[in-house]
Amino acid sequence: MKKILIVDDEQDIVESLKFVLEVSGFVCYTAFNGEDGLKLAKEIMPDLIILDVMMPKINGYKISRLLKYDAKYKDIPIIMVTARSQLEDKAIGEETGVNEYITKPFELDQIVSKVEEYLGKAEEN
Amino acid sequence: MTKFLLISEDSEKEKVVKEVFHADEVITCTEETMIFDILKVEEPDIILVDGDIESLDLKPLCRKIKQFPVVILLILGNKEHNKDVTHNVNLFIKTPIDKKLLSATVDSSLRTRQSLLKMAKSNQELAASLYQLNVLYNTSSQLAGSLDKDKLIQIMIEGIEKSLNFELSCTLIFRSEREPVLIINSLYKISDRLLEALKLRAILSYKSLLSDPPFDIKIGNLKIEKNIKHNIQEYDFSILRFDNMFAPISLNDEFFGFTEIYREKPFSTEDATVFQTLVQQVTIPLQSASFTQELKATNRKLQKLERLKSEFISIVSHELRTPLTAIKNAMDIILSGKAGEMTENIEKFVSMGKRNAIRLSGIINDLLDISKIEAGKMDFKFELMHVEPVIEYVKTNLTEVAKEKNLTINYVSSGEDVEVYADSNRLEQVLTNLVSNAIKFTPEAGEIEISSKVVNARELQYDNCFEEDIKKLQGNYLQVCVEDHGIGIERKDLNHVFDKFAQIENSLSRKVGGSGLGLPIARQLMESHNGAIWCDSEINKGSKFYFVIPIANDKSNFTMIRKQLVQKARSNGTTVAVIKIKSTNEVIENLLKENNLLSKTYMANSLIEHEGIMTTLTIILMEGDIPSAEFLKKKIDSVVAEKEDLYGKCDIMYSYEIEGDTHEKDSYSR
Repeated sequence: MKKILIVDDEQDIVESLKFVLEVSGFVCYTAFNGEDGLKLAKEIMPDLIILDVMMPKINGYKISRLLKYDAKYKDIPIIMVTARSQLEDKAIGEETGVNEYITKPFELDQIVSKVEEYLGKAEEN
Repeated sequence: MTKFLLISEDSEKEKVVKEVFHADEVITCTEETMIFDILKVEEPDIILVDGDIESLDLKPLCRKIKQFPVVILLILGNKEHNKDVTHNVNLFIKTPIDKKLLSATVDSSLRTRQSLLKMAKSNQELAASLYQLNVLYNTSSQLAGSLDKDKLIQIMIEGIEKSLNFELSCTLIFRSEREPVLIINSLYKISDRLLEALKLRAILSYKSLLSDPPFDIKIGNLKIEKNIKHNIQEYDFSILRFDNMFAPISLNDEFFGFTEIYREKPFSTEDATVFQTLVQQVTIPLQSASFTQELKATNRKLQKLERLKSEFISIVSHELRTPLTAIKNAMDIILSGKAGEMTENIEKFVSMGKRNAIRLSGIINDLLDISKIEAGKMDFKFELMHVEPVIEYVKTNLTEVAKEKNLTINYVSSGEDVEVYADSNRLEQVLTNLVSNAIKFTPEAGEIEISSKVVNARELQYDNCFEEDIKKLQGNYLQVCVEDHGIGIERKDLNHVFDKFAQIENSLSRKVGGSGLGLPIARQLMESHNGAIWCDSEINKGSKFYFVIPIANDKSNFTMIRKQLVQKARSNGTTVAVIKIKSTNEVIENLLKENNLLSKTYMANSLIEHEGIMTTLTIILMEGDIPSAEFLKKKIDSVVAEKEDLYGKCDIMYSYEIEGDTHEKDSYSR
């Protein structure tokens, strides 16, 4: 089964994302701050990461930069989720190698279909 | 008593002179330094010089003596040089001395001297008053040129010093409400105990001057500022015995401080007048200065408040969004059925919750928008575009909602192919708002009509209350109209529907909800597009909402684009670059000059070579029809994209947009 890592300091958002993704057949790991997220990413080698921008300790951009510049992890797709919708943020996101950019508030279905775009439907795997 | 100084070695001559005048009036001296000491101390009226004196060189001596206010009488001798000496004396008599002649000569010369002295004295006085007047004039013109309290006081003290030559001045002022300062200007240093005495004196003066002093000055909180001219000597208590003058610096009921000056030479009545005048002159500028200070402080406070308000709204809105997302997510999960089966009632109430969460989220977005617009922080992505696809998109988007009320949305386009310079997202926002409103207000099974056509500003029809917004329009516009068949709006309320948080009495708006910010936002967005929005309505028949946006590349519209250029350059406050390849672009250069905007002209190549320049530019204006324009555009684009701080800040415009030439090329803008 495909592994998805969700990193966001909003626990409720993480919970609901985890629920819908697991219902859709994915295995989810969660972290509530950047530091744990980065550690977990290296530990479990997820197939996809859903990342929040504004987080304590290490922010989303930093994590994505650290992963994307490392040959070992650079192929993991990253979906960035943030409340900020400013143009310059998107630019930073693209520069750090983020694959997708979704602004809050988002529809859960939107996330699920984005994930399926990258990983295919879980039932098919 | 007349005083004589005789310079002679000849006792015979001395005897004669002492005989003619009283012996005790005559001092005899032959030593040069002594002569000058006597001149200074005794101030003799007449000097008698013996032409036959051997020990002195008379010619230079007499020349030196002439600088003193004294009559020089030469007793001609036999020596040859006597002729040269006669040029440097006032009178001469021959030897042997005729006693009567000597007496008569001295008498007449003394009378002449008296009148000369008087004249010199009045001349001196006149010069002094003229000087004082001049100082007064200069001081008052200097005072008029400043609004800085400290500077004003300084000018006043300087003026007093120049015209009255005091040894010491003490001036008390309040730098701020609770910050008294004693400014001491002194010729020499001040002893510690004198300083303490001056402080005490100032505090006593302050307390005695005001019946109800607003602020208690104590030795401890009185700040001292000393300006000492020379460090060679020190003043002690003795200076307090000097003549002194005191004047409060106050205007009507307002008290600014006071100033006191000390001078060894007693002050005259004229001096007192000059002093009073100088002190009075500073009061009006001081009052203006304190008004200005207050105004500035209030202004700063207001700006800070305004900023805090915007920040507050923005932060609160962001904070609200996150939990709202979580609420919506949770309800979505329930409604999807993935969390378990639900009864009809559960679905009904969770749907109700979700609907309201969405509504709340819309209100938060509106709040964010309005705070952004008001803070001037709204980002626009202007581009050349067609409006039709946006209308189609909004129509499709809202068809579902309309169906719930069994409404139909029709769109009729006049079919003209025109482009506008707009931000498609913002346009979509305005249209969505208008159509949603129409859906809300149209009763079941009704119709909503959207139409678009090209109009000239002169043909527009509108209610008088919109005159202000619409009269400034000129040229051709694309007009979009959204018409509903609802209850309508009363004429007196027409304009108010665009006011912030306006809830029209007895209307449906409260019932149908909404932030009350949709239309005000739409109005602001239209303003940013150099367009306008207004409405027309008939009670119980329905309302029509219109908006217009200028048509791009329309020759009659270039004034609007110019306006946009000028506005943009103003709001950013930086340099506009005009890139020249061939001809001088006078239209643009004049436009920039007329609006006092900074502009610099670069050759295309130099701009590419010195990429750093671009970081200082707000708008880059290119002559649009140059062959290398495309290349330049790409190059500038890549440079601009590299510099993070420039991203989204620098606009590139083609000159033909400004001049109004219609070209086939597309405009490029960020």
